[in-house]
Amino acid sequence: MKQKYTLAEVESYVRKAAQATGLGWGLSEEAGKAARWLAAFDLPGPEISLAHLQRLDGKDYKKYFPANIDTRWQAQGDYLCPIVSGAALADRAGQMLAGTEFKLGEIAYPLLLVATIGQAARYHKTTFTTSWANIRVNCYENGIRIEGSRDDLLLARANSASCRHSTDLVPQQLPSTLAYSIEPSIWSAIDALAFKTYAPATAESRAGAGAGLTDND
Amino acid sequence: MSGTELNPMPQAAKFRRPPEVVMKLARMGSFHQTRLSFMRTLLRRLKKEKWQFERKLWEIGADGFGRAVYTVSGPERSYSLVAFSHDLPDHKRSDRVIATAWDATFTLFDGVPDTADLDRLQKSVPKQEAGRISDSELSLSRANRSVRLWQHVIERLSNGQQPDRNQVESVGYLVRTTAVYGSGKFGAADRLTIYQRAEVSGPFQAELLSVWLIRAFSIDLVEHIARAIGGDRAVTISPDLRRRIGVGNATGLGMAPFLINHPALINNWMVAREEAIARVRSLADASGEAISDFKHHFELAKFNLSQWHSEHPIQIKKLGQLNADLKKMSTYIETESLVENHPWDRFYLWAEKNLSLEGQEQLVSLMLEPYGELVDDLSQCMDADEHLSFFIDGSMSPGRLLEIIEAQCDWAIRVDYQQKQNRARFWYTSAEKLEPRVGERFDEPGAEFEQPLSIGLFIKQLYQTLHEWDPRQSIADLLLAHPEHRHTVRRLQTLATHPYSEIRDNLIAADMLPIDLLRCKLSFFGATKFDPRSDRWVRICMYQDAPYPNEMLATAR
Repeated sequence: MKQKYTLAEVESYVRKAAQATGLGWGLSEEAGKAARWLAAFDLPGPEISLAHLQRLDGKDYKKYFPANIDTRWQAQGDYLCPIVSGAALADRAGQMLAGTEFKLGEIAYPLLLVATIGQAARYHKTTFTTSWANIRVNCYENGIRIEGSRDDLLLARANSASCRHSTDLVPQQLPSTLAYSIEPSIWSAIDALAFKTYAPATAESRAGAGAGLTDND
Repeated sequence: MSGTELNPMPQAAKFRRPPEVVMKLARMGSFHQTRLSFMRTLLRRLKKEKWQFERKLWEIGADGFGRAVYTVSGPERSYSLVAFSHDLPDHKRSDRVIATAWDATFTLFDGVPDTADLDRLQKSVPKQEAGRISDSELSLSRANRSVRLWQHVIERLSNGQQPDRNQVESVGYLVRTTAVYGSGKFGAADRLTIYQRAEVSGPFQAELLSVWLIRAFSIDLVEHIARAIGGDRAVTISPDLRRRIGVGNATGLGMAPFLINHPALINNWMVAREEAIARVRSLADASGEAISDFKHHFELAKFNLSQWHSEHPIQIKKLGQLNADLKKMSTYIETESLVENHPWDRFYLWAEKNLSLEGQEQLVSLMLEPYGELVDDLSQCMDADEHLSFFIDGSMSPGRLLEIIEAQCDWAIRVDYQQKQNRARFWYTSAEKLEPRVGERFDEPGAEFEQPLSIGLFIKQLYQTLHEWDPRQSIADLLLAHPEHRHTVRRLQTLATHPYSEIRDNLIAADMLPIDLLRCKLSFFGATKFDPRSDRWVRICMYQDAPYPNEMLATAR
């Protein structure tokens, strides 16, 4: 039976899971926010984040970074990491607002790309459109609109994706969930990754937690 | 409600203490509670809005074990403390976070729970972290009895006598909370649930409402047990003595990283407090009424100090300094005019020259007391929309980022982190209890699990990268080549608009005192009687001398 987790828990555990796979603090924060953003729309952000992180766990992340961004973004490795690419696109939101459309090559879980773009839309109080396969997702300040083939929403890999500014203003779907329901096996796997960021207990660490004085007076 | 924008008073601007003075650990570790502290904000609101109070349920046996519900109802909503009282063997009674059982466990329920809710909560709340609550709950907490005072009070009351005043005052509480978890933890409602509710959207309002009701429960429970033992002979605690009983709290490193992990929020707490101090300092004169109100609170501060004990050498020294400072302040009050010629500013400038940090911070807290009308509205500006400060402006130039560092981060870049003492510590989360701890980098294993709290070191590393970076390329490009700086760039862009967001000290230095972080945060809560038990663990008292729900609020019908 699915169990509910709060958005705060989703964000915090996915952030730690990302850190455990070697993504680094700043980008792991983006991963946590992305999972949270999707979960708020009742979209499977935690699930696809986990799948993506598990695949990259222990690999050299830099191979999945956008290496060439002058024309069509490409990674050195087989595909672009959507968390890193999403962050890089959000960092270039100003260029999109000025009319640039960014084109990306082979990319994993493009829905995670959308989640990071969604943060930019919220910040700039505007709309950004991300497209891949036969689907287009508009991110608004406070909502999303999914157009086209819903089957493509959760694609594990897309040959290409693009992202641009839009003037559309009417969201189809608003955030609806503050506690996201998830399969226990998925959550356990996220938790297991997150757990790798914790230091095992030692005599020193127990001493470092508190006092030597009596505490039950 | 994302909080109200702070409107600084133009005439107060020149009296505002700059962040390089305020955001130092030694000063933050000397803060005292003020009118803007969150407990006081909460009680002011409940009183002003004429909230009602009712003890809805009392299913406690003669042995003192069972469950109870306390409900407060405001203009729009009700909140209920659900309390479970347990039989705890002495050997299991520990304040440490490693405890797994407690004398009492609590949750704050959103609304009024029915029997099914209570039965559900009875299965999970006593387990605390090991249980799971739902989005109908807003906080999760537990408390242990003060063994020394609990037995004494029961013995006296059950024999028809009042407890000994000295014993009551020297302990200050019947129960001591050992953790109060808030929004989003262990299944409790996400913060967004209460974001638009004025009564609980301010910092820690739901958690501190829990604690206020726990205090009422502790009194009811001790009187109930005394009555069960003494029958008709038993008496209740006299009202004045009852006021002297607060709720204790034992707090370790769990809350320390909060101040570092919420930069925009901390900025807003600090700015509100500093604006309040500046507004009072900007006053050209003081009325007789204000002066006598100040003197009244000064006497209370002296009394509070007489009741404030610690066995820890650091705090013993600070209390000695505060004692000397209060004597100097007494002389100042007797000999200098508090009436005109910017009396509070003069007093403060004198304090800066003549008092320790303890005394200076005590004075600024006292100065705010007479001026509720001038400063209390600032409590509405102590929230933050942290999503907005999360976003990175990739179009920023490297030159601008360098400017921010050079203007505001001298404290970070002048440190030589090659020196062992400047990176002697590391912060990590323990696998054992999932709580933050501090380790010694060169003596202990585990530094590979370091949490990103070494902000000064990060800033210096970024500063060095920026010097080698092509100034024509944007921050977006820098972050693609150097993703390791992403966290730090985010913080620095926040700092540019939130000047009080960073603690301007080295958080991994050998001489860093975690209790300074704890005291700062707890003073914002409204805690008193800080009593460090080590350099990383502190006991405090909450709500001592505050009114009780049944005294301050009408009874619900």
